[in-house]
Amino acid sequence: MSNPSSEPPPVEIPGAHPIRTYPQFLWKAVGVATDGNFAFYAWMTALTAVFLVGVHAFARQTAHGLALTALSDHVSWGMYIGNFTFAVGLAAGAVMMVIPAYLYRDHDMHDVVIVGEILAISAIVVSLAFVNVDLGRLDRAWHLMPVIGRFNWPMSMLTWDVVVLSGYLAINLHVVGYLLYTRFRGATPNPKWYVPFVFLSIVWAVSIHTVTAFLYSGLGGRPFWNTAILAPRFIASAFVTGPAFIVLALQVVRRLTDFHVGDKPIATLVSVLRVTVLLNLFLVGAEVFTELYAGTAHSASARYLYFGLHGHNALVPWIWSAIALNVTAAALFLSSSTRTHLWRIDLACVLTMAGVWIEKGIGLIVPGFVPSTLHELVEYLPNALEWKVTLGIWALGLLVFTVGLKLAVAVFTGRMRADTAAQGSR
Amino acid sequence: MDDLSRRTAMKVGGATLGTAAFARALAPLTEWTEDISMEGFLQKHYKELDRAEMEQVLRRLEDETYAEHGVEVSISDPRPTPGVSFGYALNLSICVGCRKCAEACHVENNHDRATNNSYIRVLEMKKGSIDMELGRVDYDHPVPDDTRFYMPVQCHQCDNAPCVKVCPVEATWKEADGIVVVDYNWCIGCRYCEAACPYHARRFNWEKPEIPAEEINPDQGYLSNRIRPQGVMEKCTFCLHRTRNGRLPACLEACPTGARVFGDLNDPASEIRWVLENKRVFVLKEDVGTRPRFFYFFDE
Amino acid sequence: MMMLLLLAACDTGFADPSRALGEPVPDGPRHPTEIHRPTTLGVVDTPLADVHGTPIGVACVTCHGPDPATAWASRDGEAFHTGVALKHGTLTCASCHDPEERTQLRLANATQLELPDAMTLCAQCHGPQFRDYTRGSHGGMTGYWDTRRGPRERNNCVDCHAAHAPAYAKVLPVFPPADRRPLEHADAPATSSVDAPAAPSIDAAPAAHQD
Repeated sequence: MSNPSSEPPPVEIPGAHPIRTYPQFLWKAVGVATDGNFAFYAWMTALTAVFLVGVHAFARQTAHGLALTALSDHVSWGMYIGNFTFAVGLAAGAVMMVIPAYLYRDHDMHDVVIVGEILAISAIVVSLAFVNVDLGRLDRAWHLMPVIGRFNWPMSMLTWDVVVLSGYLAINLHVVGYLLYTRFRGATPNPKWYVPFVFLSIVWAVSIHTVTAFLYSGLGGRPFWNTAILAPRFIASAFVTGPAFIVLALQVVRRLTDFHVGDKPIATLVSVLRVTVLLNLFLVGAEVFTELYAGTAHSASARYLYFGLHGHNALVPWIWSAIALNVTAAALFLSSSTRTHLWRIDLACVLTMAGVWIEKGIGLIVPGFVPSTLHELVEYLPNALEWKVTLGIWALGLLVFTVGLKLAVAVFTGRMRADTAAQGSR
Repeated sequence: MDDLSRRTAMKVGGATLGTAAFARALAPLTEWTEDISMEGFLQKHYKELDRAEMEQVLRRLEDETYAEHGVEVSISDPRPTPGVSFGYALNLSICVGCRKCAEACHVENNHDRATNNSYIRVLEMKKGSIDMELGRVDYDHPVPDDTRFYMPVQCHQCDNAPCVKVCPVEATWKEADGIVVVDYNWCIGCRYCEAACPYHARRFNWEKPEIPAEEINPDQGYLSNRIRPQGVMEKCTFCLHRTRNGRLPACLEACPTGARVFGDLNDPASEIRWVLENKRVFVLKEDVGTRPRFFYFFDE
Repeated sequence: MMMLLLLAACDTGFADPSRALGEPVPDGPRHPTEIHRPTTLGVVDTPLADVHGTPIGVACVTCHGPDPATAWASRDGEAFHTGVALKHGTLTCASCHDPEERTQLRLANATQLELPDAMTLCAQCHGPQFRDYTRGSHGGMTGYWDTRRGPRERNNCVDCHAAHAPAYAKVLPVFPPADRRPLEHADAPATSSVDAPAAPSIDAAPAAHQD
């Protein structure tokens, strides 16, 4: 199944020194990242434009204050933190390629696992960006750094998040960087230098989303979040969005590049999705039952979210859309074969990504604040500025992902290789 | 070769354009950076300043206030009195819901005028229930309504404070006299504490607070009522610039009925101790385990 | 464990330990607590009315001031005081006033009392309120919580409770909330979770809310 021709057998290039070749790698990477056909330029230009719109909106927000958002003292987190949560899930879900590839030694998956790792990097970049745009004082972000700032570790879950997110970013940058650079030099990657990190990344992926869930579930004053099922729900939905995104990405890669992507990795991911999409729905259902059946005062947020409370129902259409999207996606996943109805699988991936984006974004963060801790009902929906910043950050993420994929394809297909000693890097 | 150089030229052109557009997009930030002084940017955490440095910070903040508002204020840094542990109790039987406490807080603490900001929210509650879902804050009829009771809520200065626990940068902490404070010059504005607080006690400066110069209260404390910067959290400090000097908090002085009782929990002869020992006292949301220093009680 | 961690986080970590605490307050003489002396004890409606038809009131101290020269113990007392709206339980004039010498109050044990000393008289019946008052949990005050460092001023019963109609008068609340609610129109009134209670009429008979 695996087509060996897609990967030239690694032959160490004479003169490609492990360290001295690195500037050459970076320089060529810049070249590859900025070279392409018309469609590529159009895509990158469009993303850059959206990104710049976001940058401008963010600059305005920083100058005038978060008063430009629709947030308030009643609903003090919204679009940004919701997207942060979703992006962390995407990053954690990317590991769903790593597990089959390395734990179950699935060779077909092994060939394309780099796509998952690049997704992890891009999604972490996105999630970090979302936390940063949510800060009231970005100029003081250095206070969050251990040693030079004052790091409230281990008490604050946010400091744990800083640790695990940067750690996850570092691990994946290392693995991707190492694999690409070794192949660039024509050398065979030494398992000693990356396999331990790959296994670490599996554990770490679970930790990033668990810690992110603990951010919310640790708050006793917010009953909607203060539930032990939050971390399992996060993991389950992460294992929906991660594979769903990768399925789509793999299909794009295989249509637009000469990088070989077999059918089997997609089939494997879809079989994972068939389970996780149901597991996610099950956990949501368990949560909804527990909230609503007992009818305690603590279910006010859930009632607000699903049915509206005292005439306030801004989120009701959102959450029912999310449920409809996820149920439809589940039905499509279960009823479609990757062989015969790939487009239905694609559709299901898109639907479930949208569903989870609502469910663990706006649909999870906002009801935590409605009603407020004094039971005031102040609603929230993102305004235009928040949409601009949000789209800008996702555009940034897609830029990073595109560049990453482009490098990976160039290296794996052998188009980007170190020069031989004669042409030397120096 | 020709094609290659044309391609390079296009790339360089594109990069230049992109950089220019990026700079352009960031332009609003110049206004913002003008507001941040280098000393302010590099200022150490409150607890890391020694006496001389603290003194410098206070004078700098006074100068900045003068430069911005044209008002001479005095910013002091009163520290907890040894052996004093503050507590506050509120008599729900005699609170009439006039909101004078909330107003006094607004004036005393140099709050933003447009938003009527105050650390106190007064809930009008249905008699026979302490379900806050049946309460409301925007009542505008003559009070007291005989079918209702009134419950002002402000920072409970919890001994197991969720806000302190969650702050990632230790910008908020509990002091020896029990008051939970915020270093407005260290807070990064992540609002995790606002999410953690079960009492809606924390407020965020969504924009720079606006107060007419003539209304600025010049008696200011570093950790309490000095004019807050944009983008940081703030909260009730039991008026520590007053109470650490022995004075009563502004909300208590404004209360016409005497529903508010403030004092030193360590002093067995204090009014607050008498209330705790002789009245039917409860704390709000005891189940969340915050161990408040703010108590509610009813007359028998 | 959590508590220990939190405790450890309290008041430690001062680079300059001398900044952790302020100066101790030496024990010493206490400053006085001063209770308002009422200047007007109450108002009696006269049969006269102003242009709006509101009865014109005369302050009690107009006649019953401490200065005997202005004391006006007139024969028409009964008629003049018909304007006193007595809404104080089942009390009658003589419950508090000396029937012989109306410039004076009279305790239950027949001890005479000057009008400005009314609190002692109130305390006869309102024991729990008086106890709460002396314990600082009833009645407004200003000044210092720590009387080692400064004096305190306190309200008198009659500052808030008119002797003849002591129910606490209804007031319009001040300072409505106007906090950010970006989803709602800025000029729309803030909404809340429940139906607004019907605004009670001010004329409604004052119930024993304060009792």
